[in-house]
Amino acid sequence: MICASFDTADDGNAREEALFAAGAPAVLLWQAAAHSIVVPRSRARRVGFDALCARAAAAGWPIQLRTSGGGAVPQGPGTLNIAMITPMPRGAQIHAGFDMICGTIAEALSRFEIRTQTGAVNAAFCDGDWNVTADGRKLAGTAQRWRPNGAAGSIALIHAAIVVDDPPETVWPVLGDVERHAGGIIAPRRDVHVALRDLLPNTMRPTSVHGALIRAAEDRLHTIGDLRFEEAAAA
Amino acid sequence: MATDIVIPSDLWDEDEECVITSWLVDDGGSVEQGALIAEIMTAKVQYEITAPATGTVSIKEEADAVVAKGAVIGSIA
Repeated sequence: MICASFDTADDGNAREEALFAAGAPAVLLWQAAAHSIVVPRSRARRVGFDALCARAAAAGWPIQLRTSGGGAVPQGPGTLNIAMITPMPRGAQIHAGFDMICGTIAEALSRFEIRTQTGAVNAAFCDGDWNVTADGRKLAGTAQRWRPNGAAGSIALIHAAIVVDDPPETVWPVLGDVERHAGGIIAPRRDVHVALRDLLPNTMRPTSVHGALIRAAEDRLHTIGDLRFEEAAAA
Repeated sequence: MATDIVIPSDLWDEDEECVITSWLVDDGGSVEQGALIAEIMTAKVQYEITAPATGTVSIKEEADAVVAKGAVIGSIA
């Protein structure tokens, strides 16, 4: 079991990209030491992006880019990232990736008696239908990147950012600025999020879940062969 | 004969559209079959579009266009 520690989210995302390029099944758990806000690369083409980056950096939250979809995500010591890289059989659809990552988190946390669901959370950062939630508040966000893999299907990078500790208060106005730049009208709010540390029993550290996350992820990667068979049979 | 560049039609069931987030080749540029030429995004998934043929790219739908699955966004001749 490995939880990689990187200086920056850029470093962690670069490692995910390298594994995605290799295309072999892999699981990576990682955290970044430095704070940043990570946005999809496509945001960099918007007018005013350089000025936004300058404002965010001045507030202590430099903006970094990633290649998957979604919205702005705060990174740093309070965010645990899990990335799964897997071939997806021909016929697999994108919801299969979301099922995989949300199921991984749900199963791992169930071992700590934490019950999670999936769904959108209004005013959460990087909101989407495939958030992992607890009692209606967002615990983790998910996103994916897929590329064709010839006749075999696709290669998928499926990742989630789990809020382990509440980010510093300074992040919220910056997240609001980032969302306005992207055309969003709802500023992300702290009260619709929940941190893993607040869900775990007092005596338990968030690092306790690392092993369970890795095991649940690897179990799912091992079932991809079965999924291929089922897809072929259904075709 | 031109080969269409098509948004995949089997990646999701819903009628949800996608956005062309970027073209990685210029209109009129030359590409090799299999090269990454564009990216689309739907439902927090970024999907890579690769060249279906070798030749010269003609872009029909620009970046930021919203398109349906199965849409033809360009061609290669």
